[in-house]
Amino acid sequence: MKIITTKAAILDPLQQVGGVVERRQTLPILANLLLNLRSKSLLITATDLEVEMKTSTQVEANGELDITLPARKLIDICRALPDEAVININIEGERVTIVSGPSRFTLGTLPAKDYPVIEPITSSHSFSVPENRLKALIEKTYFAMAQQDVRYYLNGLLLEIKEGIIRTVATDGHRLATSESDCQIDNSLELQVIIPRKAILELSKLLEDTKDSVLVEVSTNHIRFNIRSTIFTSKLIDGKFPDYQRVIPTNSDKTVIANRETLRNALQRTSILSNEKYRGICFKFTKNSLELLAHNPEQEEAKEELQIEYQGDDLTIGFNVSYLIEVLNVLETKEIKLMLSDSNSSCLIEDEKTSNSRYVIMPMRL
Amino acid sequence: MQRWVGHADLDAFYASVEQRDSPAYRDLPVVVGALPGHRGVVAAASYQARAFGIHSAMPIAEAYRRCPNAVYLRPDMGKYLRVSRQIFQILQTITPVLEPVSVDEAYLDLTGLERLIGPPEMIGSEIKRRILQETGLTVSVGIGPNRLIAKLASEHNKPDGLTVVLPEQVQQFLTPMPLANLRGLGRQTQKIFTRLGIRTVAQLRAAPLQILEQQLGRKAAANFYNQALGIASAEVKPGRGRKSISKETTFETDIHGHDSLRHALRELAAGVAAQARREQLAGAVVTLKIRFAGFETHTRRHRLPSPTHDERVILREAWTLFNQGNLPCKPVRLIGVGISDWQQVQAEPVQADLFDQPQRRKSNERLLATIDRAEARFGKGILQLGCAPKRDKRKHA
Repeated sequence: MKIITTKAAILDPLQQVGGVVERRQTLPILANLLLNLRSKSLLITATDLEVEMKTSTQVEANGELDITLPARKLIDICRALPDEAVININIEGERVTIVSGPSRFTLGTLPAKDYPVIEPITSSHSFSVPENRLKALIEKTYFAMAQQDVRYYLNGLLLEIKEGIIRTVATDGHRLATSESDCQIDNSLELQVIIPRKAILELSKLLEDTKDSVLVEVSTNHIRFNIRSTIFTSKLIDGKFPDYQRVIPTNSDKTVIANRETLRNALQRTSILSNEKYRGICFKFTKNSLELLAHNPEQEEAKEELQIEYQGDDLTIGFNVSYLIEVLNVLETKEIKLMLSDSNSSCLIEDEKTSNSRYVIMPMRL
Repeated sequence: MQRWVGHADLDAFYASVEQRDSPAYRDLPVVVGALPGHRGVVAAASYQARAFGIHSAMPIAEAYRRCPNAVYLRPDMGKYLRVSRQIFQILQTITPVLEPVSVDEAYLDLTGLERLIGPPEMIGSEIKRRILQETGLTVSVGIGPNRLIAKLASEHNKPDGLTVVLPEQVQQFLTPMPLANLRGLGRQTQKIFTRLGIRTVAQLRAAPLQILEQQLGRKAAANFYNQALGIASAEVKPGRGRKSISKETTFETDIHGHDSLRHALRELAAGVAAQARREQLAGAVVTLKIRFAGFETHTRRHRLPSPTHDERVILREAWTLFNQGNLPCKPVRLIGVGISDWQQVQAEPVQADLFDQPQRRKSNERLLATIDRAEARFGKGILQLGCAPKRDKRKHA
């Protein structure tokens, strides 16, 4: 059997699903991609048992076929071919030959019937959201997810729907990011699921700035996103996300307005001489002025002073500078608002105008 | 100034403490360790037991075969630690430059003490006299110009020995020694020396360095050659002490169930945490050790964001390591847990946690302090934290 395609047609779908394939697998077949040919449509699937991505592309072929091919090698071969290359995939029993012009590659296969696929989910809930909204919700929060924390439920992103509002929350215990959007979702729909870190990272690569509608289906153990011609499925983390509302401070009595770009640049410069391990920086707020101080174990020192809008009492507080920079990177307005109370309490950061995205950072005792 | 290093080593420490405390055992062979009929090894054997060829680390079944009539006792670590602390306090009064090697062994920097106490023999006698007088235990003391000679000297005339090796006596002292007395001689190196026909220090000294280097590699050859010539460091590092606290247990029969394993881990974690708190240490690395049927041994470690001496944190980390460490699914023979990498809880910047209430941390500290006080008063393990059975249900998606 023969499939004819081009580099232009197949490389993008291959690379898209290829990100799901782990470098080291627990099962040999997880290094492979599953290819299903149905008339002229080729469906490509990759999985690591936690996340599954399926996408399809049109090819020239006849009949039906199910095979698996080593993902890394197939992608590397297609990428290395000249841009205008026509690719012939010849399948004869256990051997698959890829021929393009003078190049010829013979690849091994594994039986398609052994490929683990996540069963079509019997969704208990479904809703639609514009692609660009979903993208923004993820991008504004996902950097705060924990990584390999023993509190396994923090190694993911909380997706919550309540009263027609869709909300994402991420926290690693030191800082928290939350973003919400009114997407005219049925008011009666209420759900709270935790999507694993890896799925979120793949999803953020997949989503584009279009207004296309993304259908999201949720079952007890899985979530599925139908994004254009791609179906992305992930297991859910079975755990209880902490009560994020409780840790968003409501009684801050000190408000600081700062120019986002100026503050970010100052922080970036100061951070150069902060302790590489702890990244601690000392913030000294006085009337309309902020002094930043950092020093490292080599006793080198950085100091910055900038103009802010601040009328409260003097306050000295320490923060991990990376946490602040990451927040300033995703905020979009010219001015931002910091709300503080004392040197042991958390700081709330928002856009100056809206509070669609909110960020909470715990201080550091220096 | 002439450097003097002392090495003090208590004689059959655990067994001697037991003999001291139970006069009936005094002239009997005493073996501290596992009990016969159970799994495990000898932790310490009295000199009367050593006469039967019993030595530490020997499987208990083998010890029992050699001397079925010995007194077999389970170790009482709390008691030994108390005695050990008492002994270290005595040694502290001789010299503050003291490097503990284990509970019953330490190096002492005796340099310059001649003017205070007298010649090395007199310093040695003073150490022995004070320890015997205040604890009723005998110690073997070796004194020499460096660590190697001090250690070899303390081993030279055990038990209750005192050996001083003057710098000019070092060569003469080493010459008749079997090679096995040297430090860092493993089974593989031993094999190489046997093949070369080198069995004593004198033979090693006579061997051409070039051949040793070919056979052992440059570094190892230089090391053994220096030892044979009595060249070693005289530095005593007081801070060195212990690097980790760990506890392990060998099961009577191999364990299959997670519940029993978690139960064992909980007790070990409580022991590790209690000892860390007693010694005012907090470790940032938690290590899990596990040995499966067939002696297949694995260790897994995890670094915490901040150091701990809380049994619940240690248990939580160890349990996560067990569940997510890609370990084989086999019956378990031995399980152990430890903490290491001591860090000052206060000195470094501390990142506050969103979900960690300061009140909760304070009540936590009070809880742990209460457990410690109860233990100090009523004995080890008298008060243990219970378990929340819900946590066992954790499934990782």
